[in-house]
Amino acid sequence: MAKDMTLLWAAGSPSCWRVMIALEEKNLQGYKSKQLSFEKGEHKLKEVTDINPRGQLPAFKHGNIVLNESYGACLYLEDQFKSQGNKLIPDNKAESALMYQRMFEGLTLFQKIAQVLFYNLFVPENERHDSAVKRNKDGLKAEVKLWEGYLQGTGPYLAGKNFSLADVSVFPLIALVFRFGLSVEHYPKLAAYYNTLKDRPSIKTTWPPNWKDTPGQDALKDF
Amino acid sequence: MSLLWGAGSPPCWRVMITLEEKKLQGYKHKLLSFEKEEHKSQEVLEINPRGQLPAFKHGDNIINESTGACLYLENQFKSQGNKLIPDSPAEQALMYQRMMEGLTLIEKLNLVVFYDLVAPEGERHDSAEKRNRENLVAELQLWESYLGNVAAGSYLAGAFSLADVVVFPNIAYAFRYGLSAERYPKMAKYYSLLKDRPSIKTTWPQQWYQIAQRSETLKDL
Repeated sequence: MAKDMTLLWAAGSPSCWRVMIALEEKNLQGYKSKQLSFEKGEHKLKEVTDINPRGQLPAFKHGNIVLNESYGACLYLEDQFKSQGNKLIPDNKAESALMYQRMFEGLTLFQKIAQVLFYNLFVPENERHDSAVKRNKDGLKAEVKLWEGYLQGTGPYLAGKNFSLADVSVFPLIALVFRFGLSVEHYPKLAAYYNTLKDRPSIKTTWPPNWKDTPGQDALKDF
Repeated sequence: MSLLWGAGSPPCWRVMITLEEKKLQGYKHKLLSFEKEEHKSQEVLEINPRGQLPAFKHGDNIINESTGACLYLENQFKSQGNKLIPDSPAEQALMYQRMMEGLTLIEKLNLVVFYDLVAPEGERHDSAEKRNRENLVAELQLWESYLGNVAAGSYLAGAFSLADVVVFPNIAYAFRYGLSAERYPKMAKYYSLLKDRPSIKTTWPQQWYQIAQRSETLKDL
């Protein structure tokens, strides 16, 4: 039950956000929730490493069970709580196939986002190159265009008619790119997807607290 | 079902192991060559616009993401072949955890073994290579600890599961590119326990990418 669950998380982290969305979707509100700060290095605190030796967030526990990998946590929650809340894996074979495909493509999308938005965080100064920055930007732009195309072919959700784990996994990434200035005019399908989902209760309730009252950035506005 | 695949590719291997485990032999398959850039051919792009392998179809359903394909196959064919997702909550959670951590392992392996493919000439740095090696050593030590009690029938999450389907190919890859069995005895034991499992033995890669040039890459780790 939710009261036996604990989640350590950081605001804006897609990995954390997707677990929070899954918990809401499965009616597992009431879990112990603690917000930590990456900027203050709190992800390296003992309280985190006791649960996640990798010193990463999310750190998630259900009783004595530990599941820090966000995709793992989402799959586990859907399996263990199949009969409550919303169904997150479609019964329809074709829809479930598309769900798994898009869900795991989400890992590629995140990698390409990180290579652009967190370049300076991951690459020490003496190893940075304009050629890499350009290549990463081109790579992310091509990736975002791919997802715009996916939503031209299917909708309103990533796997078709039903909200699924594909949306739980990927919506936080779409929200992130718009937060960083992606153009609504250039990506109308992604913008429509974003608008459809931003008011979904599980998403609205778990919206990153620091995003509500502060403006985003514009790193991606020229895409 | 049809599978376009490349030899020595852990993602392709995972799907092939799963197909064997679920008794889905007899699928159409075609071996393509990375060296000849066949993964960028029209035949692949029609199924996988990313020009990557594996490219997998089940009827009209396309799943090129290997972990996704494995999960799909286990869910669609739950009642046949071997069970690959445990029912018990604790084992199931551990299985999902290790399965997903397996993707981190292959990423860190690639950064060392295929550094020159990740970083074009002019962007390579000794400091980056050193850091990648250190990160990989830390990662390998984690896996040694995960396999502390490895024994026949007791793998990454108890009985053989999707965690092993995803991770075993990565460990086989590491040893193929020179990892020392003496320094990583638990991983070596895991490797020797599973290398003759029918689904794994049957699908063992005939070759590995640029093996002549890279088979010593990990030997000093």
